[in-house]
Amino acid sequence: MRTHPHSGRPRARRRSPLLSVTAAVGAIVMAATACGGDSGSGDDGVVELRFSWWGADDRHATTQQVIDLFEAENPDIKIVADYTDWAGYWDRLATSTAANDAPDIMTQEERYLREYAERGALLDLGEVSDELDLSKIDPLVAESGNLGDQTYGVATGVNAYAILADPQAFEEAGVEMPDDSTWTWDDYVEIAAEITEATDGEIVGTQSMTYNESGFQIFARQRGENLYNEDGSLGFSQETLEEWFQVTQDLLDNGGQPGASESVEIEAGGPDQSVLSTNKGAMAHFWTNQLGGISASAGRDIELLRYPGETEHERTGMYFKPAMFYAISSGTDHPEEAARFVDFLLNSNEAAELILADRGLPANVDVRAHILNSLPEADARSAVFLSEIEDTIVDGNPPPPIGAGQVVEITKRVSEEMVFGDLTPAEAAERFMSEVEAATGGS
Amino acid sequence: MSALLQRRPAKAPDGPAAAAPRRRTGKPPAPGKKRNENLAAYGFLAPWFLGLAFITAGPLMASLYFSFTDYSLIGDHNWVGLENYERMLGDSRLHSALRVTFVYVFVSVPLQLALALALAMVLDRGVRGLPLYRSVYYLPSLLGGSVAIAILWRQVFGAEGLINQVLAFFGIQGEGWVSHPDYALGTLIVLNVWTFGAPMVIFLAGLRQIPAMYYEAAAVDGAGPMRRFWNITVPMLTPIIFFNLVLQIINAFQTFTQAFIVSGGTGGPSDSTLFYTLYLYQRGFGAFDMGYASAMAWLLLMIIGGFTAVNFLASKYWVFYGD
Repeated sequence: MRTHPHSGRPRARRRSPLLSVTAAVGAIVMAATACGGDSGSGDDGVVELRFSWWGADDRHATTQQVIDLFEAENPDIKIVADYTDWAGYWDRLATSTAANDAPDIMTQEERYLREYAERGALLDLGEVSDELDLSKIDPLVAESGNLGDQTYGVATGVNAYAILADPQAFEEAGVEMPDDSTWTWDDYVEIAAEITEATDGEIVGTQSMTYNESGFQIFARQRGENLYNEDGSLGFSQETLEEWFQVTQDLLDNGGQPGASESVEIEAGGPDQSVLSTNKGAMAHFWTNQLGGISASAGRDIELLRYPGETEHERTGMYFKPAMFYAISSGTDHPEEAARFVDFLLNSNEAAELILADRGLPANVDVRAHILNSLPEADARSAVFLSEIEDTIVDGNPPPPIGAGQVVEITKRVSEEMVFGDLTPAEAAERFMSEVEAATGGS
Repeated sequence: MSALLQRRPAKAPDGPAAAAPRRRTGKPPAPGKKRNENLAAYGFLAPWFLGLAFITAGPLMASLYFSFTDYSLIGDHNWVGLENYERMLGDSRLHSALRVTFVYVFVSVPLQLALALALAMVLDRGVRGLPLYRSVYYLPSLLGGSVAIAILWRQVFGAEGLINQVLAFFGIQGEGWVSHPDYALGTLIVLNVWTFGAPMVIFLAGLRQIPAMYYEAAAVDGAGPMRRFWNITVPMLTPIIFFNLVLQIINAFQTFTQAFIVSGGTGGPSDSTLFYTLYLYQRGFGAFDMGYASAMAWLLLMIIGGFTAVNFLASKYWVFYGD
């Protein structure tokens, strides 16, 4: 209904009851039909497609430019933008999919892709291989959108989870930046505490790391374990998770990270309210494609550090992850046109010149090479960082099981109960495991 | 409470009780006009009937059906019988959501009604500019359920919010009220109490209906203000109190927006603001567990229906209809 201009109701004068009944019926019918009439062809043969994504304002602006560019080159297709922030995106996508009104082209994410694919909501991209060329996709992520033999999503770009550090904050605290090729988890805890102590709490050592299970995935991989096994079961031991929570407990005890309710507020604010963005902290855990946005909000050059403990255990834990996926709804009336748009997003240099590294370092290797020199400074640094760690990465991750989308929320809730002191690290580990098993084991 | 309320007003001097509030429908209209008027009435009601049929009844029946299936919002579904209802017994988050909701309802509704009645009585004393005050106090009721107010609330009760700035002025270091599990629910209760305007306006109308002669007669007999309040105002107002009580309890059980916005949709910190409806939403739209969410909706309907029924049954013993 939103996108349709004729949502006004006819105004009925109070003449006769019959008139008011007709008016009411008319209004309802109009409202009902207004909802139904999308994704069809216009009168002039122009195909209208909806494209949905999540993100912040800068992504909305550049994506609209990409759409304009595509429409100029493809006058027979019109793309309607459908965007929200991350938190609202999945509720909305689920609802519109249930109503058979899914966007023709949608942005997907690792933890949700299989959920949608398994339930038949996504188009097998093999069916539109004439329009959509997947041959140039980086082999590291090329199959990440597969389920069995079918391809349901194509990676937009490559990302790594890392530590973002603010050199100026370190300097103000008089603490030296760590050597990230050798630092251990103990170093991390110590350095964070030193920073808080040296600045009398003005600058906190590090933002809480238990709000995203991606960090734990690295931690587990360093010990030869993983978050999930190939079959989707839990791939780690309770001791490992307990140690992971213990790191946070230590940071709470020594002041290296903000207190419980402060952390809740920081996390609720998203990346724009991270301790780095507000210049109130020295370190935080984020994806490499978030470096640009956070540097901009901080007004400083933020640096990327490898995760602690990469040389401490039997192997390294960092990994590349497909930043997002483009997927096509199985319910679209125009799969070929939709595929042409995805092809443009993925394989055209012009689109990449606008998107740059915002959806991860481009997955198409030719396109990546093309834009590498035109990247803004922060993104260029993350590109360098990714190429530096590439050699240390042992392997990729198996796709997360169905239900992994719920783990986002479970992680948050369990870690909150721990930082407020309602759970010990051991209890938190037990709780996390049983809840994740319940969420992912069911189907 | 009922013992107090049961007291009847001292039988007023034989004045006709005509001025007392009447809750029954008036006399039937003149026979000639009746048909026409009925038709007009149905005409005006038609939009609501259609809305009920298409927007409420359809989904209502669908959700009853889905509550017996494993419907996941997208894709197929299978009949699973009572499994969803059985799962509720072992769902500890559901139990904590019920606990949170009950605390919210039973703390905020009485506080809200008490505040509404107190202010209505102040305004009933004939304050100058009454329409203005009435509007000002009614305003929060219009805004209280809105997203904007919930966002405002998060700011006011945040770690660096208005409340803490005021406290800091007195040298007190306040908590981040909305982000601490011990206080977050409290801020939402305060928000609900703050929307006392709607019941207040109804109380005010009710107070206006109490004949002044009762008070005059009581004053002549030497009854003080407290006695007049408990023996005249409260009994004469019981139908209004009852009406407000039923309505506000039903409303409070269904609270969603405030909790959703203040907690960012999580019901956090650590489930302290996980209202029943919020958890239902999470199951249905976050976890693709719409069958279970539908079953939860029916449990909520039964709970609200149960409370409303008890309310009506109990009303026989304490609500006084003046004639």
